[in-house]
Amino acid sequence: MSEGFVIEARNLRKMYGPHLALDDVDVQIPRGAIGILGPNGAGKSTFFKCILGLITTTSGEGNVLGYDIKTQGDLIRSRIGYMPEYDSLDPDLNAIDQVRYAGELIGMNPAAAMQRAHEVLEYVGLRDQRYRKIESFSTGMKQATKLACAIVHDPEILICDEPTNGLDQRSREFMLNTLRRTVDEGRGTVLMSSHVMDDVQEVCDRVVLIHKGQIVINRPITDLADQIEREVEVVIWGGASKMEEALISNGQKVRRMGRVMRVTIEDENTIDRIISTAAKSEVQIRELREYEPDLEDIFLLIMDKLGARVKGTSELMTSDHTGVD
Amino acid sequence: MSAEEPKTDDLPDQGLPENQTSTSTDTELGQTRMEVAYGAGDGDDDAKAIVARKASMGVLYEQIYRPWNGELGPRWVRNYAIFRHHVYGIFRGKGHRHYNPFVRLSILVIFLTSLTPIAMIFLSVTISGGEGSDWLNRMWGVNRYNLWGQVLGYFPRNLCMWPLLTALVVGGMISDDRKNGTSAIYFSRPVTRADYTAMKYLSSAVVLGFVIVFSYMLYYTSAIVFNGEGWAYLIDTLPIFLGGLLAGILLVITYTSIGMALSSVSQSRFFAAIGFLAIIFGTKVVALMIELIFQTTVFYILSPYDSLAHLGQWLVGIPANYEHSLALSIISILLYNAASIGLLVTRVRSLEVTRE
Repeated sequence: MSEGFVIEARNLRKMYGPHLALDDVDVQIPRGAIGILGPNGAGKSTFFKCILGLITTTSGEGNVLGYDIKTQGDLIRSRIGYMPEYDSLDPDLNAIDQVRYAGELIGMNPAAAMQRAHEVLEYVGLRDQRYRKIESFSTGMKQATKLACAIVHDPEILICDEPTNGLDQRSREFMLNTLRRTVDEGRGTVLMSSHVMDDVQEVCDRVVLIHKGQIVINRPITDLADQIEREVEVVIWGGASKMEEALISNGQKVRRMGRVMRVTIEDENTIDRIISTAAKSEVQIRELREYEPDLEDIFLLIMDKLGARVKGTSELMTSDHTGVD
Repeated sequence: MSAEEPKTDDLPDQGLPENQTSTSTDTELGQTRMEVAYGAGDGDDDAKAIVARKASMGVLYEQIYRPWNGELGPRWVRNYAIFRHHVYGIFRGKGHRHYNPFVRLSILVIFLTSLTPIAMIFLSVTISGGEGSDWLNRMWGVNRYNLWGQVLGYFPRNLCMWPLLTALVVGGMISDDRKNGTSAIYFSRPVTRADYTAMKYLSSAVVLGFVIVFSYMLYYTSAIVFNGEGWAYLIDTLPIFLGGLLAGILLVITYTSIGMALSSVSQSRFFAAIGFLAIIFGTKVVALMIELIFQTTVFYILSPYDSLAHLGQWLVGIPANYEHSLALSIISILLYNAASIGLLVTRVRSLEVTRE
């Protein structure tokens, strides 16, 4: 393992029959909190399965914590914790027994697993509910129990698949704080897959964006904001369509969301031009400020840009599968 | 204030009568002027009030991540955890796999029922000498037919007891994991699919074996002990006993294989249970109807029970009830097991860890 990287993959390719799920992925992931982003079917789950050593890769190589994903899957899975997106708990067990059993399945002896189950259930905020049957738990409590199962053996890498799914605001904040604390105090790595950009932004320092089986972004969130064009956000009253047309006819790039428009800053005269355009169009400017993009904007912009560049499924088919040379 | 005698001059003027002065004791006890003046103490002069101390601000919940530096056990520790989880659940109400109380009660009743020959042998011994004793011994004593009947007799063993027992134990073994998504708990850990399947299979087989094979062994042992038989009897009957034991083990394996395969097919434990009963009873009924119409027993090879019974008859050395070749019954048993295990392995391979 190269210094500082917990996950490395080189030319990792996975095909399900004729469908290419991972397309020669090259990635190096350092320690810390990393958000794994991508639309449905992008290859996130396949990537997880590959690094867990659960499926054989078609070609390429990779290692996790220095262990080969092809031959040392069991050693990898001993050192990581996985929190699945969907229900993965026995409703007939109580929380303490479920977490203890999860610990035993990883190789902890029953006494150590029981002691540790108490500790992690307290950590995830279920100390008082640990003897309750899981069938009586709310969604938030089930998510917390799944997290407890994943961290029972103090893993070096924690993989969380949609950890805030179905949670209310209070439970969501607690879950995100807990994940952040796990990175900070546990000095581990969290790989978090989520469709909610705010969650990723709150917990993660870095994002890996997967699209159509390729890693298209792998860098810190702070760097990403610098990659996209700066914009001015303008709130218009009385004729937003007229204003938009006028701005576009002036050669300015505009993104419009109802009465709110985001205009790309091209030079120091951009704001003057916006104001004069508003005066000519006879519309009011209620607000005008420099816009700070959040992760969702960055994601949408990147996806928009990728739309034309990334290969479609038909292009991903090789001659071996189509039978055409 | 110290116990030092205060100087009268230092005391503030309290307007006391000239003949009465305030003392240090009065001041220390905090007596009022009225009490000092008229001795009107109410008897609680020495009482001390217990007042709440000022509490420091407590912390109701402090989230602290505690690292764990323990050693993880090897493969057998993980496998034993799966085995223990499924087997202990039958005996303990909490902490392991949950078995419905009705299921646990049914298993107990089936086990106790399978031990009834022991009680009958004991009865025959206690009334020894009479005609009744001979009849009891013939009916329940150790002989080839009774040893075969203990595991492979149709009524009541294979009509009311063993299939029901298998359906109850095996029904939810894998279907529950499919239904609840708990397969992710196994496969995201260093548990291979082969270990998972083998341990679940072993757990079911051990429970069935405990009831079917262990009761058979108890029956044979009790007969020897109660009748006070010696080594010669043991040597004479041991081959028959071992034949029956092998037949019992084959029955446990075959029933477990079929039950586990059905459990892996669906998300419903009831489907697996009903499916198993349908295969055991359905194939027998079909074969029976064909025998009644066409006077041939060959279709009994469709019935797992009858194939096992045929093989068991050969193993304990009693005349076969079937006209067809024993080889066909053996092939039938092998095919049933191979097909069931093949289906089981295929279905377990498709269990998901992450969902697309």
